[in-house]
Amino acid sequence: MPYLSGEETVKELRRALCNPNVHSDPLRHRNAVLRVIRAMSQGVDVSALFSEMVKACATVDIVQKKLIYIFLCSYAAVNPELSLLVINTLRKDCQDPNPMVRSLALRNMTNLRLSSLVEYVEQPLIAGLRDRAACVRRVAVLGWAKLHDLQPDSEIDAAVVNELYSLLRDPDPVVMVNCLRALEGILKEEGGVVINKPITHHLLNRLKECDIWGQCEVLKFLQRYQPQSEDELFDILSLLDASLVSPHPPVMAATVGLFLSLCGSLPAVGLSALRRAQGPLLAACGSGSREMRFTALCHIQLLLRSLPGLLGAHYKRFFCGYAEPAFIKQRKMKVLVELVNDDNVAMLLDEMKGYCTDVNPDTAQAAISAIGHIGRSYSDRSLEILVGLLGLKQDHITSAVVQTMRDLLWVCPQCSSTVCLALEECEDTMQDAQGRQALLWMLGVYGERISSAPYKLEVFIDDVRNETSAGVKLELLTASMRLFLCRPAEMQDMLGRLLHHYIEEETDMCVRDQALLYYRLLHCGKEETEKVLQGRRSDPSLGVLIGPPAESISQWAHSFNTLAPLLQSTFKPDSKPQLSDALRCDPVETSGNCPDKQMDSSTHIQTSSSAAPLSLSVSPALSPEKFERLWLQPRAQHDEHAAEDDCLWIEESIQCPAVFQCSAQSLQASLQLVNVQTLAFTPAHARPWKVYLYTRMQLDSRGSTLILGELVHCEEEPVNEKERTRAPAAAPQEEKTVRVTLRQQPRDDETLKAFLSILTTVLHTHSSSNETLP
Amino acid sequence: MSASAVFVLDLKGKVLICRNYKGDVDMAEIDHFMSLLMQHEEEGLICPVMSHGSVHFMWIKHSNLYLVATTNKNSNASLVYSFLYKLVEVFTEYFKELEEESIQDNFVVVYELLDELMDFGFPQTTDSKILQEYITQEGTKLEVAKSKVPTTVTNAVSWRSEGIKYKKNEVFIDVIESINVLVNANGSVMSSDIVGSIKLKTMLSGMPELRLGLNDRVLFALTGRDKGKTVMMEDVKFHQCVRLSRFDSDRTISFIPPDGESELMSYRINTHVKPLIWIESVIEKFSHSRVEIMVKAKGQFKKQSVANNVEVRVPVPSDADSPKFKTSTGHAKYVPEKNLVVWTIKSFPGGKEFLMRAHFGLPSVENDELEGKPPITVKFEIPYFTVSGIQVRYMKIIEKSGYQALPWVRYITQSGDYQLRTNV
Repeated sequence: MPYLSGEETVKELRRALCNPNVHSDPLRHRNAVLRVIRAMSQGVDVSALFSEMVKACATVDIVQKKLIYIFLCSYAAVNPELSLLVINTLRKDCQDPNPMVRSLALRNMTNLRLSSLVEYVEQPLIAGLRDRAACVRRVAVLGWAKLHDLQPDSEIDAAVVNELYSLLRDPDPVVMVNCLRALEGILKEEGGVVINKPITHHLLNRLKECDIWGQCEVLKFLQRYQPQSEDELFDILSLLDASLVSPHPPVMAATVGLFLSLCGSLPAVGLSALRRAQGPLLAACGSGSREMRFTALCHIQLLLRSLPGLLGAHYKRFFCGYAEPAFIKQRKMKVLVELVNDDNVAMLLDEMKGYCTDVNPDTAQAAISAIGHIGRSYSDRSLEILVGLLGLKQDHITSAVVQTMRDLLWVCPQCSSTVCLALEECEDTMQDAQGRQALLWMLGVYGERISSAPYKLEVFIDDVRNETSAGVKLELLTASMRLFLCRPAEMQDMLGRLLHHYIEEETDMCVRDQALLYYRLLHCGKEETEKVLQGRRSDPSLGVLIGPPAESISQWAHSFNTLAPLLQSTFKPDSKPQLSDALRCDPVETSGNCPDKQMDSSTHIQTSSSAAPLSLSVSPALSPEKFERLWLQPRAQHDEHAAEDDCLWIEESIQCPAVFQCSAQSLQASLQLVNVQTLAFTPAHARPWKVYLYTRMQLDSRGSTLILGELVHCEEEPVNEKERTRAPAAAPQEEKTVRVTLRQQPRDDETLKAFLSILTTVLHTHSSSNETLP
Repeated sequence: MSASAVFVLDLKGKVLICRNYKGDVDMAEIDHFMSLLMQHEEEGLICPVMSHGSVHFMWIKHSNLYLVATTNKNSNASLVYSFLYKLVEVFTEYFKELEEESIQDNFVVVYELLDELMDFGFPQTTDSKILQEYITQEGTKLEVAKSKVPTTVTNAVSWRSEGIKYKKNEVFIDVIESINVLVNANGSVMSSDIVGSIKLKTMLSGMPELRLGLNDRVLFALTGRDKGKTVMMEDVKFHQCVRLSRFDSDRTISFIPPDGESELMSYRINTHVKPLIWIESVIEKFSHSRVEIMVKAKGQFKKQSVANNVEVRVPVPSDADSPKFKTSTGHAKYVPEKNLVVWTIKSFPGGKEFLMRAHFGLPSVENDELEGKPPITVKFEIPYFTVSGIQVRYMKIIEKSGYQALPWVRYITQSGDYQLRTNV
């Protein structure tokens, strides 16, 4: 075929279609139509041929009909008037003795998506619902959904809705499932299709007849049903047992989703269902298709948020193959990090070590930071690997290792000696700005223990003109300042040069201002400078760091088996669109899953005393790092009820004799019952004894407020300004008092007081139960 | 489920064919797909789901095609992927090979299929056996509209038409097991499992009733028999023709088979298997001068069995040159484009041990590109043998007309994902 431009093609095609000789020869006619469609799929705009194609529609050749309908549906929107001409042919086809032709006509009639045609379509659709051929009924049922989609404002006749409900009993399973889909769309305003008891039982009985698409759909709709009794619930569950271990991952996932929603009030049953689905879940992770594997892994991550121990024994199934794509490897590593325990840590780290040299730098980086994560609980082994990796002298690996070490130091300051030793040896200069920043931070903070620190900084300072990243510049300034404070002799000259350069020559205002600030700070003397630069750090005595709390299943159950868990890899968790959903926690949750009766009632008393019902929730989770950042934000004044713009500090003393003698775990457990999460503890008998905790509290209409808290108990006299807050007569009880400092943001005095009373109750209950123990 | 539209793109991102099912996502959105993909590829973060504004693209790649589904809802991801794979499966059954050319040559059938497979974003008729009854490639040849309704669309036995006739009634059963092994550099088996499948080639007249007997452990435990070796199968998947209710109640596999070739069932066995071909390798790399490779392969299976077409693929550095080989059997070949040495042994009897030595030169200038540590992979096929020991005990064929039919059984074990890590 000679090359023709779009316009010429259209002309040429029109000529062919209009040629009476072509019309008389069916084979040539079809070929002409075929060429139009081919041009259409190649992206040529052939909409000008609409009227010719409408004429060609009157044919007995079913393939030609199909092709023309595809054409008409694609261009109907640009030719609404001409489309009216097709309706006649289509309506005639709806009467055709051949059910294939009838269903084809009906489907395309609804696919035209023209609201002007709705009145012509309704009658054939009603007839289609009563057609004797199942394939026509399938199309007709969905046709109503399309009609509603086209005109969402106009109501679909109640008689039709009733007919659709009755078609749920259609002998053809696809018609049945299509009815569910259509009703769901049509009745969206009223909350979707009604799933009552008879419908549920009917659907359950016919589940086996459906193909996997149908099964998934039915299982999804059943989530809406609330069994009336526990017996009925268990009947349903046992009926679905076969689907739970179905070898088709979508069916299995849909069943798990259904179990989770049915067992909302019986978490234990939900858990055992998940345990039972372990096998198929693992099988899905080893599925032949990488997309299915990815989906399965994402969902396993979701499950692990509530069931950290699940699948721990099968950790080897998550080892990466060499040829697997990076997105699967990285997901697997995230899962592996969750599965680590005392028994498998050696094996797991050994495996991870292999991934660190992956050809894909992102995968290597992910592996390194995974090792860092494991290092929070198994620091020695992990550090050994990390230090070993520095020896490879690969630029991107070194950078990732240095960053990981910095993050680890934040959380586990006790690792600092090993890290300092390793940094001493590390000679490389990194290309990557993030890595250099991390290195500089460590040199600044731990400079006094790294003998070569000034020389390392010197390399940076000598090369200061070539530095482009503002982050590195700022970090370099701060690090030089910090190091100057502890090693003035070696640093004085260098710091002078650096400040001079930044103040005189730097173009970046931020950096220049920072340099000026430091310069003036130095004028204020050493003490003042130290106060600014060496602010409060994480308390090295806080050894035990408890991982994120096991979330309740209801936190994520709604997003199970959807797209959302897959998308979380592409979005930062902060920008998650469903975050607002997660915040909406009903008050039931506070006390709902509270097995301890005593605790339960006490919370209730407290909540009833305040005007509005209180709802505490620990999600979205707060990371220890974030907590620390918020906690260390400076307080404006230290008065009892010092208030900044939007945050409130209060300090109280609670008398509870023995609370600090009990184990951290039991206190954590009882706080978790009222949805308060503890983040860090000092060891049981350390003095001062400290606990850090947080919770979120629902404010009726204004979103939620975050409360951070610190419990401190000192055996000695509390120091300086805190004394004022204590009651003067408290001396004899001194030893039995826990001082509570709370920080709330945004402020809301009432809820904070209410929270304080809840906390008091918990501590009292806890200490009294502790006292009774020997 | 709800996929709004489905696209088939070529490698450059040009739309070959598309179908708009719901009309709630602008069809022009697909233009962003390729740029998104490139962007993710550059960042090394390719992901099977990508988003542009409120539109999500879920995609798979098959030969030189991208199959993409778009949606703006929080749809069921696993179902969408299953559907895309179903598309591939159906197209492959129609065109043998699914690639750009076959889509372009058969665009009429592709349009027809897309029309039947999904309606308004919901999968409808996806069984290719049924589809083949009324959408045929011969349809492009001219004939007046087929007035015959395919009975199978509503029939109870949707996968088999009535009135099939053969002169000689036979059924061929292939039991194929592939073993997946991952061995650590220090020689310990990290993971191993067997994926088995039973394939049928049915050439039987009428509507025959078949019953397949296996040495299934659960069945033997049910009936109280305990002789000989039994097999514990997991994740058993059946062709839709198998009556699942009977299998669930008494583990009988009974069915009316589809005509021609089909996969009756697949299973997985998650036991510790001894790697059938054991590889020991010593790879010594002397920087700036040479690499020396010594590979020992040992057949760890019965002496009577023979592994055919064994291929041991040993990775070599990408800058290696001037290969020299010495093998005790078979021959070795250097495949520079894949950085591999492929050692081929036509027949490898059980219990035997063979050796290959390879020597490569390395350039004196160091290659600073980071290279991964690819594992050694092995391919092989052992006929007349199954690792799991699964056996077809009987195949009963009953048809109304009472003809005699012969079942033929063949066993094959082959390598699946068979990897042995090296320490270089």
